[in-house]
Amino acid sequence: MQITSRTNRYYWITVATGTAIGLVYLIGFAAGGKPMLGLGALAVMVVFTGALVLIGRRSETVRGLLDHRDERISAIDLRATAVTALAMIAAILAGFVVSVARGGSGWPYDMIGFVGGLAYVAAVIFFRARG
Amino acid sequence: MRNDVRDRRTAKGLAQGELARELDVSRQTINSIETGRYTPSLPLAMAIARFFGTTVEEVFHADHV
Repeated sequence: MQITSRTNRYYWITVATGTAIGLVYLIGFAAGGKPMLGLGALAVMVVFTGALVLIGRRSETVRGLLDHRDERISAIDLRATAVTALAMIAAILAGFVVSVARGGSGWPYDMIGFVGGLAYVAAVIFFRARG
Repeated sequence: MRNDVRDRRTAKGLAQGELARELDVSRQTINSIETGRYTPSLPLAMAIARFFGTTVEEVFHADHV
């Protein structure tokens, strides 16, 4: 795959998204009275997305993940996302059990699990309807 | 699934990267298809067959039909 204007657009979208997430972190930390930590989080996001773009100029896999043009990379991304979801589910369940065992209510793990379960059911219904 | 992509590509004197550019996929994808590690989607299989001026059945050979 060549680095095309389309790929370059995805590079900018990646950097913009990372910066936007960093700004949300900054706002959150600033609201909590820790603006310096927020600036650090913003810097981490900018450096991370910048590094991703730089690596993407050398790595076909990273470039493919950024612009999702290659069907094999998309399939790899889908499987990797599924594995990540399984790891997240395991972590949420473990967090919930530990919270309950310590006498807590299970919050926020119960809500995260609820949102995840709801999203899964909604996605199944949506994709089933699309065929 | 076995295929003749490598044979047909080399017969045309093309490198993997050149075929990848023609089909708008990565060089790694062409390599994975040639080595049988990745089975392409029907649209990509058709694009490969069309590129070589033949049919999907002539390029890809199912082990169990």
